[in-house]
Amino acid sequence: MGSATLLIVLLIFLCCGGIVSLKSAVERIPRKKIPGASIIYIPSGKYLKYATFGYSSLVADLVYLWAIQYYTTYTIVDRFQNLEHIFSIISELDPRYTDPYEIGALIAVNEAKDLNLALRILDMGLAKNPDQWIFPFEAGHHAQRAGDYETARKYYEKTTKIPGAPDIAKRLYAAAGLRMMDLEESWKTWLEVYNTARDDRTKKIAGKHLYQVKSISDMNILKGAIQQFRDRFQRLPAGLEDLIRVGILPSLPKDLDGKDYVYNPKSGEIKAPSVWWKR
Amino acid sequence: MKIRAIALNTFKETIRDRILYLLFFFAAIALGFSRLLAVLTVGDRVKIIKDVGLASISIFGVLMAILIGTGLVYKEIDKKTIYTLLAKPIRRWQFLLGKFFGLVLTLFIMTLAMGLIFVIIVLLHTGKLDGRMLLAILFIFLELILITAVAILFSCFSTPILSSIFTLSFYLIGHLSWGLETLIQKTRPGTGRLALRGLSAILPDLENFNFKTEIVHGLAIDPRFYLFSALYGLVYTLFILALAVLIFKKRDFI
Repeated sequence: MGSATLLIVLLIFLCCGGIVSLKSAVERIPRKKIPGASIIYIPSGKYLKYATFGYSSLVADLVYLWAIQYYTTYTIVDRFQNLEHIFSIISELDPRYTDPYEIGALIAVNEAKDLNLALRILDMGLAKNPDQWIFPFEAGHHAQRAGDYETARKYYEKTTKIPGAPDIAKRLYAAAGLRMMDLEESWKTWLEVYNTARDDRTKKIAGKHLYQVKSISDMNILKGAIQQFRDRFQRLPAGLEDLIRVGILPSLPKDLDGKDYVYNPKSGEIKAPSVWWKR
Repeated sequence: MKIRAIALNTFKETIRDRILYLLFFFAAIALGFSRLLAVLTVGDRVKIIKDVGLASISIFGVLMAILIGTGLVYKEIDKKTIYTLLAKPIRRWQFLLGKFFGLVLTLFIMTLAMGLIFVIIVLLHTGKLDGRMLLAILFIFLELILITAVAILFSCFSTPILSSIFTLSFYLIGHLSWGLETLIQKTRPGTGRLALRGLSAILPDLENFNFKTEIVHGLAIDPRFYLFSALYGLVYTLFILALAVLIFKKRDFI
């Protein structure tokens, strides 16, 4: 090796060292960034699809991978602003790719604390994949967790209408109905679950809930009757039979096992004879 | 002196290249189009003009560097004119550096012309000149110098088509390598992370020359950033040129 070559090799090594140290020096200097600036110019998925030259599925994968990294970067404070936009891009590029809708909704509900955004993403998934029960099911689950039982019930109802939906969707629909105190609908659904149950466990669960629905309904009637008695006589009835004697009730309701409801004449409280979930 | 002679000759050669004028023509159209595009927006029109203008200078500049640079050395070998040249008292590194500086001079003229059109358009629209825009163009030119060196490196041992693909890949990698940092953060400490760190250190980071967003949005930039970025670009160019010289020195011409 000649001295000139040696000199060049030495120069290459020196440059290598220089590149590495300069790069780390540059990286140490913070650069101001506009939050979310990297994504606001991403066009709609419809148009982006043309630019993928037939690799729309691959681009959807890449956008999804990038989105996961982006939304787990906690330093970007306003990262959720374009969440719907990003996941709509993925849905346009690969409408049958189900994971992004579910993860997008999870990010929306757990990180962004925006239930409506999560529901919109899942609605998008359902619109593109009407045969996938998982989207309304997840939407119902998120709404239920947020305490929005009316929305939850609406989504569980949608789930039950999609072929292949799990049996639990109907049970959750009934449970949400009970939470809304729609006892009649809840009773009807639990009864249907009970009658169509394919295993003992489901039958047992439905039976317990039927007991619960009926006892709530009966206790509501009894509580109303006790209030009427109190309004009329300015005192609590000594026993539940008093309600029949004064003509407020024609007969006393009994629980599903044929047992009488437990009445406390001192406090006027009514209790079911059995605890529904222990039954 | 010899380098200067080759550089001037290369400059004369490249300035006569039709592809250069074709690219310049399209660049001028793109720059003018930025004014038209701004009409379609709702809100800040200057932003659109600046964005499209700076991007046009960068993209067409890179295309010029790649399309001309990759054929520069190869043409001499292919047409056998290199025999006549190297038979003279010229060292191979002088020949290579001459070619490099010749193309850099051409690109300087082209960047200057595109920059002038851009500045005039912005000036006509806003009535004032932002000095930082010139800085953005200067760093685009620094990037072009590095791309020219890479194009010449590949031109030393490969055909123009392959060299163009390699140089374009270098450009794309350079603008995407910042994503490695995210991957490093998500990787568990160990060999994998170490390997990624090594890769990140060696791969070019062309985002160091990209001040377009900051300048368009008027964000403050640490002056040290300009300094270190410029130094980084120059050292990287030197590194690529040294590699090119080493390869070209060892090459046999049959």
